Amino acid sequence: MAVGQRLLLIVGLVAYPFAMAIYFSLSDYWVGSPGRFIGLQNFRDVLGNEIFRQTVQNSFVFAGIAVALKTVLGIWLAMLLFRPLRFKRLVRAAVLLPWVIPTALSTLAWGWMFDSLYSVVNWTAIHLGIVSPPGPNWLGMPAYAMTAVITVNVWRGLPFFAITVLAGLVSIPREYYEAAEVDGAGSWGGFRHVTLPLLKPVLAVVVLFSTIFTFSDFNIVQVLTRGGPVNTTHLFATLAYQVGLSGGNLGQGAAISLFLFPMLAAIVFVQLRYIRRE
Amino acid sequence: MALRVSRRRFLQTSTGAVAGLSLATLGPAPAHAQKRELTFLSWNHFVPAADDELRRQAELFSKQAGVTVRVDTIAHLQLPAKFAAEAQAQSGHDLRLSYDADPFLYEHQLADVGDIVDDLGKRYGGWYPFAKEGCQTASGWKAVPWFWISFPATYNMAHFKQAGLETPKTWAELLHHGKVLKKQGNPVGIAISHCADANTTFWSVLWSHGGKVLEADGKTPAITSDKTAQVIEWYKELYRDAMEPEVLSWDDASNNRCILAGKCSWIHNPISPYALAVTKKMPIADDINHHSSPGGPAGIHSAPPINLLAVWKFSKNIPLAKEFIQFLFRKENYDPWIVASQGFNHPPLKHLADHPIWAQNPKLAMLPKEAEYAHVRGWPAKPNAAVALLQVNYVLPDMVAKAVNGMPTKRAMAWAEDQVKLAVQGKLKEGGA
Repeated sequence: MAVGQRLLLIVGLVAYPFAMAIYFSLSDYWVGSPGRFIGLQNFRDVLGNEIFRQTVQNSFVFAGIAVALKTVLGIWLAMLLFRPLRFKRLVRAAVLLPWVIPTALSTLAWGWMFDSLYSVVNWTAIHLGIVSPPGPNWLGMPAYAMTAVITVNVWRGLPFFAITVLAGLVSIPREYYEAAEVDGAGSWGGFRHVTLPLLKPVLAVVVLFSTIFTFSDFNIVQVLTRGGPVNTTHLFATLAYQVGLSGGNLGQGAAISLFLFPMLAAIVFVQLRYIRRE
Repeated sequence: MALRVSRRRFLQTSTGAVAGLSLATLGPAPAHAQKRELTFLSWNHFVPAADDELRRQAELFSKQAGVTVRVDTIAHLQLPAKFAAEAQAQSGHDLRLSYDADPFLYEHQLADVGDIVDDLGKRYGGWYPFAKEGCQTASGWKAVPWFWISFPATYNMAHFKQAGLETPKTWAELLHHGKVLKKQGNPVGIAISHCADANTTFWSVLWSHGGKVLEADGKTPAITSDKTAQVIEWYKELYRDAMEPEVLSWDDASNNRCILAGKCSWIHNPISPYALAVTKKMPIADDINHHSSPGGPAGIHSAPPINLLAVWKFSKNIPLAKEFIQFLFRKENYDPWIVASQGFNHPPLKHLADHPIWAQNPKLAMLPKEAEYAHVRGWPAKPNAAVALLQVNYVLPDMVAKAVNGMPTKRAMAWAEDQVKLAVQGKLKEGGA
C-alpha cells in the first residue's frame, strides 16, 4: 500500500475519531447542538460525580480479577491441550468457540443462566444441595453481579489466552525438558524453570492485549446488567454510553471514555518496556 | 520500502479519496423514476400484532400517496442511542418515535408540527393535557402525541383468593397484602433497577405520597423531603417483607415473566402480560386481572409512558411525514390499531378514546380512567431535559436501591439530590432547556 493511502487510513480511522473525542470532551456538546469550548470542566464534573468514581473502582476490580484468572486458567488450559489427546484438532477448535460466537449473543444466553427466575446455575446448585433455595441473586447483588460479569468475561477471553499460550508451548524445544529431567527436575520444576521463563514474552503480549480489551469491555456489562445494580458494574464504556448517547451529553461521555486513555497508555508503556527488556 | 511519496502519487491518492468521500456523502444518484421513500423508526411493540397493523397501514398509505413508507422497529432501550447517532449525523429516518421529555432533549433538531397538533385536536375532541404537555417546547410543538400506555396493577386473582385478600387501593395496603402474599410464596414484583418500569412506578408512588423531584420552576431540586423519605421507607419495607431481591436485577420483561410463571402475585405494569397470555392461550390468562394503580395520602397519581411522533428537522420529507401522521390518526386506521394492540395503546385524543375494546372486557374496563391520574414525568414542573436525564441515568430507582441495600435514607436522598442538581446544571449550561 502506498504511503499516502496508509496515512489516509490512519488519519481517517484513528486520528480523526480520536481528535473528535478530545474536542467533544472539552466542550459542552449535546447531541445535535454544537457546544462551546469549556476547557476541562467536563473532566472536573465527571471526577466530582460519585457514579464515575464508582466506575473507576469497578473497572479495576473487573479487569484485575478477570485478567488474572484468564492468565492462570489460560496457561492451565494450554498445558492440557498440549498433551497428546484424541481428536486433538476437534478439541482445540471447540475451545475457541466462546471466542468466536458474537459476544452479545452468548451474553444473552448467560443472561438466562443468571436470570432470577429461570437460572439454570441456581437450579443445578440447589439440586446438588450446594446452596439453599432460591440461590444467589446473580444480577441483583453488587458482589454477585460483579462475579457474573467477570465469569462471562473470563469464559469469553480464555480461548484467546489458551490458544496463544499453546502456540508458545509448541515452540519450546523438547530437549530443554529432557535436560531438566536429567538434572532431576519434576513436572513442577520443568514448568517453573523451563516453561514459564520461555513463555514470558508470549504471556506479556497476551496480558497486554487482554488488559486493554478487558478495561474497554462493553457488551457483557451492557447486556447482563446495564451497569446495575446501583452502578456497581458500570465500566468506562458503559457509563460513557449511558451519559453520552442515552443521555445526550456527548461532552461528558467523551470525557469519561478519555479517562481510559492515559490509564491504558501507562499500562501499555510498562508492559512494552518489559517485553523489550526480555 | 519506498517511504517517499511522489507528488503525482499523492495527487492520485488524495483525488481518489476526495472523490470517494464525496460519493459517500452524496449517497446514491437520484433516480427520477424512483418512488419517494418515507422512513419511520419505531420500537418493537410489546404487543407485536400492533406493529403488523402499523406496517399494513404504512403499505396502504404508500399505495394511496404513490410513495414508499418503510417502518423500522428496534428494541426500546436502543432507541436513545440511535436517535443520538441520527441527530449527530444529520441523516437517518424522517419520522421517529419519541416519548416523555425527549422532545426537550432534541428541541432544536425536531421540526415544528404545531399545525397538525392543532388540526387533529380540533377534529377529535381535543388532547388529554398530560399527553400533549411533553410536546410543546419553548420553540414550538416538536412532537405529536401518538398513544399512551396505561400503567395499572396486574394481579393474579387465584393468589389473592387463596390469601383471602381484596385488591389493594393504596400503596400502604399493597405493603400489608404483599407481606401475606410473600409468605404464601407469591411475592409482589416492582423493579428497583436500571429499567423503564422502575422509573414509572417510582414517580407514581412518589406523587401519591405528595412528593416531587423538582419544584414547579423546573430548576430547583425538591427531592429531599419527608415525603420522599416516607416513600423510601415504604420501598425498604416492601423489598424486605413483600418482594424478593431479584427485583434489583430486573429488566422490563422480568415482571411479566414473574407473573406469567405463576410466581408473582402483583406487579405494576401495562397489560402486556395479559395480552401475551391471551395470544398464546396460556391457562394463566384466566387468573390474571387488572385494577387501578394504587393511591396514597395525596391521591392516585400515575406516570403512564407517553409515546409521541416526531419529525427530524433534517428530513427532506417533512410535509409527507405530517401527511402520514394524519393518516394514522384517521378513525378507520386508529381503531384497528387499538384492536391489534389488544387495548395496550390508548388514544391521546378524547374522541378516539371511546373505543369499545376496554368496556367490552371487564378485565380492561378501568383502563381509560387511568388518564385522570396521569402526569408527565417531572410534574409539577413542566417536562424538561433535566427530567429526561434523570430518567436515562436511573437516578430515582438507584436512590431506592441504595437505601434497600442498607444506605441510610437521608444519605440516599442527598445522593439523589446531587444527581438532580447535576442534571439541572448540565442542561442549563446549554441554555436551551
